[in-house]
This record gives sequence, structure tokens and C-alpha cells, in this order.
Amino acid sequence: MPGLIEARRLAKTYRLGQVDVAALRGVDVDVGAGEFIAITGPSGSGKSTLMHILGCLDTPTSGSYHLDGEDVSGLSGKQLAQVRNRKVGFVFQTFNLMPRLTVEENVALPLKYRGGVPRGERRVRALRLLERLGLADRVGHRPDELSGGERQRVAIARALVGEPAILMADEPTGNLDSASGAEVLQTFAELHHAGHTIVLVTHDPNVAARAERVIQMSDGRVV
Amino acid sequence: MNLLESLLTGLDEARRHWGQTVLSLLGLILGTGSIVTVLALFGGQTALTEQFLNEVGGRSTIIVSDRERSAHPGARELASKRLTFKDAQYLRARAVSLAAVSPGWAQQLPYRVGNTSFDGQVIGTVPDYMAINDIKPLVGRYLSDLDVRQQARVAVLGWKYADSLFGVATRAVGQLVSIGGKHYTVVGVMEREEFYFAAWESNALEYRNERAYIPISTAIVQHSAVDHLDFLTLKARPGVGGRAAQAQVRSLLFARHGVEDFDIRASGQGAGGEAGQFLLLFNFIFLVVGVVSLITGGIVIANILLASVVERVREFGTRMALGATGGAIFAHVLAEVLVVTVMGGLLGLGLGTALTGVVAHFMQMPAVVSPFIAAVSTVTALTVGLLAGLFPALRAARLSPVEALRYA
Repeated sequence: MPGLIEARRLAKTYRLGQVDVAALRGVDVDVGAGEFIAITGPSGSGKSTLMHILGCLDTPTSGSYHLDGEDVSGLSGKQLAQVRNRKVGFVFQTFNLMPRLTVEENVALPLKYRGGVPRGERRVRALRLLERLGLADRVGHRPDELSGGERQRVAIARALVGEPAILMADEPTGNLDSASGAEVLQTFAELHHAGHTIVLVTHDPNVAARAERVIQMSDGRVV
Repeated sequence: MNLLESLLTGLDEARRHWGQTVLSLLGLILGTGSIVTVLALFGGQTALTEQFLNEVGGRSTIIVSDRERSAHPGARELASKRLTFKDAQYLRARAVSLAAVSPGWAQQLPYRVGNTSFDGQVIGTVPDYMAINDIKPLVGRYLSDLDVRQQARVAVLGWKYADSLFGVATRAVGQLVSIGGKHYTVVGVMEREEFYFAAWESNALEYRNERAYIPISTAIVQHSAVDHLDFLTLKARPGVGGRAAQAQVRSLLFARHGVEDFDIRASGQGAGGEAGQFLLLFNFIFLVVGVVSLITGGIVIANILLASVVERVREFGTRMALGATGGAIFAHVLAEVLVVTVMGGLLGLGLGTALTGVVAHFMQMPAVVSPFIAAVSTVTALTVGLLAGLFPALRAARLSPVEALRYA
């Protein structure tokens, strides 16, 4: 299996006032294409920090990170933005949809930031994904007109529209009731089945159990 | 995302949260509106001043007066007779650049008709004075060359004096008036002169209604015995520049006096006197008000934008996670500002134009919103708006994605 994520000795230190806080203390992560990984651990264990670095939202203080064969540990902010746009699709706990945009506009947003994708194509790709996720009748709605489960599926569609190498989800069921949560997890299972690589961060063991492999974090280390 | 697309996104954004947009707009509209109004009134006042100058004889009028004696005058200066009627006659004969030469003599003298008496101004002059100052008799005639040659005891009264001395101004002609203890026959009454800078102001030309004109020769012989003028009013020939005429007058007078003991100035300089001073203050206050309100508008915009950036930090974080670069976020916020400022500028221009109409109507002042004023105020609004938006846009662009996403 080709290594999609190859991270070596990742460390991240924050400065809180006068104190340095180590959020990651040398973490190695390997994720192969098509894998469904769950990163789990109690709050403060460093799982979110790890996901931010793996998702190129943040850079490690030390260590090396190759994403899809590209060394991204030394990239500039602008370059990281482009890597995020092309290689990573994010799903957040609070959905983070743009409240004033329609469902279709929300889904097409990453393609807008990519540049060079004509309006018509952006629309077609957004509609195709929404249909695939069972949201074809919601394209013209605003996020606040949707249920929580529907919103999260819109967010998944948005994460997928750019055809990223990897899908990153941070507590995707955290703000959902159990029925909607199960629906969303089912969606992830189907996406995994279709060949998508998924990294899911959760503190919920039941959610983590849906993944193929679990990375257990504690005190900034993989245990 | 290219710039155009960022702009379109920003435009869309401004439309979608129109509540905030309207608030920021208000600041700009009011600021621009007052700038437009101020400039229009300012322009109107300037036009009015110009009109006043024309009324008092135009910019081509040149005034010569005695220079104050120096503290330690030299022999030449002591020998000079200063400005004289003979100077006037000399200039009239020699200065080819001049169309008219009018010697002026002025004194406060007692007026009396029957039981009515008061002290007032008397101007000793020549027929040219009428042409230079663009004044006309209402009844009777003005002074003639013959009057000057014969040192005639004739007087032309200003409208106000004729009115107060004889009850009805037009009845004065042919009557006798005592000026400085000498009797004069009234041969004419001048038209009443009026000029108002604003409806509430007094007549700026009233001083011209409160005087009498007598021949310069009569004035010198009857009331001062010495040939000395208080001023010389000259008019340059049409087509001859005021400066060229001034230069010629200067050299001719210098030749006669042997020393430059006179001052030459264009009537535009310092004309209007107190009225001009008042206008300057008036315009200054209005301009300050306008600038302050525009700055206030800018601060309002900066505040609202900053609040709207803070409110949307998480949204910007999300956009960054989706691939927005700092530059794209910057363009996004700035585009919102641009939309708001352009709209604010244009609406402010509309408001200002309306306000100008209202002010001009109620204050009886001329004021016009010229294309130049429109351009200046719109550009000012744009500049203020963009400056106000720059800081919030920079702040949004510099957010770190992780911190922005965590922002509650």
C-alpha cells in the first residue's frame, strides 16, 4: 500500500505565557491510501493538534511530514492553503457551513478557491455529490433550513468536491443525535468502501470502533 | 481564486448581510453628504465673491494709495508731494495701458439740510470714477468734466443720503445741501446699490449709498487747500494684463515722485473686507465639520467591519481550511469594503445634492454641486472607506487557520 501519510517524530510545542506546552512529543503516523483510521484519546491528548498538522492547518515544531509523496513540513502559508485545497477535505464537529450561502454554493466553495474551475463545472460537480449523498432536493436551501444530519452530509459533500487524497473529520458526530450520527458514520463507511482515505478524530470509542485501525493518543504520544 | 472572483464573493457577502452593510453605509453617506454640501456652499460663496468683485468694478481695477511713511524718511521721500491730482492727470495723459484714471479724495464732513444733519463720507473725484466702479445715477446726472474744470459746487448723492436728507431720494435733484459748511447743488442721485452674501447679512454695498460725490477740484479747493489724493482708482485697458498696467503705473509714478512712496494693488486683493473675512471663517467651519463627519464615517466603517471580521473569524478559518489563502481572505474583506464605500459614496453624493438644495433654499445662498465636487467627494469617500477597511482586512488575512477555527 503506498504511504499517503508519512509523518516522523512530529512534535508541536505551544507557548502559553511563560510556559512551553508540548502538545505532541514525537509522533510517527503512517496512513495508506484507502485506509479508514480513527485517532482517539482523551481531551488534551494531542489528537486535535495531530489532525491539524496532518491536515496542513498547522505546521509541526519539529519532525517531517510527507503527504501524498510531498514534503509539506517546510511550506509557506500560501502553499499550505493550496495543499489543503487539493489534498485534504475537512469535516468539522460544528459543520462550519457558510450560513448565507445555499447548500450548492457551500459545496462548490473549495473549487472556487482552487481557481481555474469554470462556474458551470463547479455547479455540476457540487450537484453530482449532493445527489450521491441524498441531498438533491436540498441544493437551494440555506444551512439553517436543514437538520443536523443533513448539514453534516452537506459538509461531507463540500469536503469531497475537490477530490482530495484524504478526508479528515474532527468529531463529525459530536453535535448530532444518535440517529443522525449513525447516518453520518454510515456515510463514512460507504465512502471508505468506495476507496476514500479517511482520518477521523474522536474521543468516542463507539465511533472509533467503526474505523479499520485506531491510533490511540495520550499525553502527546501514540500509545 | 482570482481577484475578480474575490471581488464578486465580497459583493455577494455585502448583499447577503445587508443589515451590517446598511450600518456602514450610513456613516459614509452622512460623511460624503456633508462634504458635498460644504463644497457646494463653498463653491457658491466663491462664485458670490467673484460676483461681488465684478459688482465693485471687476478684477481689472487697480488701486494706488500712499505708502506709510518710513520711520527715517530720506530726502527724496520728504521732497515727494505724495499722490496728487496732478499725478492723476499725468497718468491719464501718459499711461497708454489704462482705460480710465480716477483720482480719489475722501473726507468725513458734516451734511445738513434744514434741521437734518449728520457726518458722512464725501468723495472728491472725476467722471471716470463712475465708469470704473460701474455705478449709475438713478435721477439727474453724474459729475461731468466741466464740473471738474470749473470747480463747480455740485454734488451727486448716494441713494441713502438723498433719501434721509430729502425724504424721497428722487426729490433731491436741484436742491441745495450743505457739505462741510459749503452749499452744493444736488445734480444727481445714484442708484441704490445692493449686494447680499447671504439672506441674513446686511447690504455689503451699503457704504456706497452713504456718501456724496463732488468734483475733485472742488474738493481740494474748498476742503483741503492742498493737492493731495487719498487714492487713485485705475482701470486697465481691455486686453492689457493687470500686471502690465500696474508695472507701467509704477514706473510713471516713480519717475514723478523719485521714490516709491505708493502702493499698487488689484481690487481683488482684500476686496470684500469684513465680508471676505466672515466668509473665510464660515467656509473654514463648514469644511472642518465636513472633514470631521467623513472621518467619523470612516471610523464607523472600520468599527463595523472589525466587528464583522471578529464575528466571522471561524468562518474565515473554515474558508482557510477549504483552501483560501490569506490574500483571498484579504481581497474578500476589502471587496466588501469596496462595495460599501462605492455605494456609500454615491448615495452620499445624492444626499449631499439634496441637502445642498435645501440649505441653499432656506439660507438663500447660491450653491451648486459641480462635477468636480462630485468627483472630489466620491474619491474622498472611497479613500476613507478603503483606509478604514484595510486594517480589518489585514487582520482577517493574518489569522492562523487553527486559531481561527478554534475561535468561539
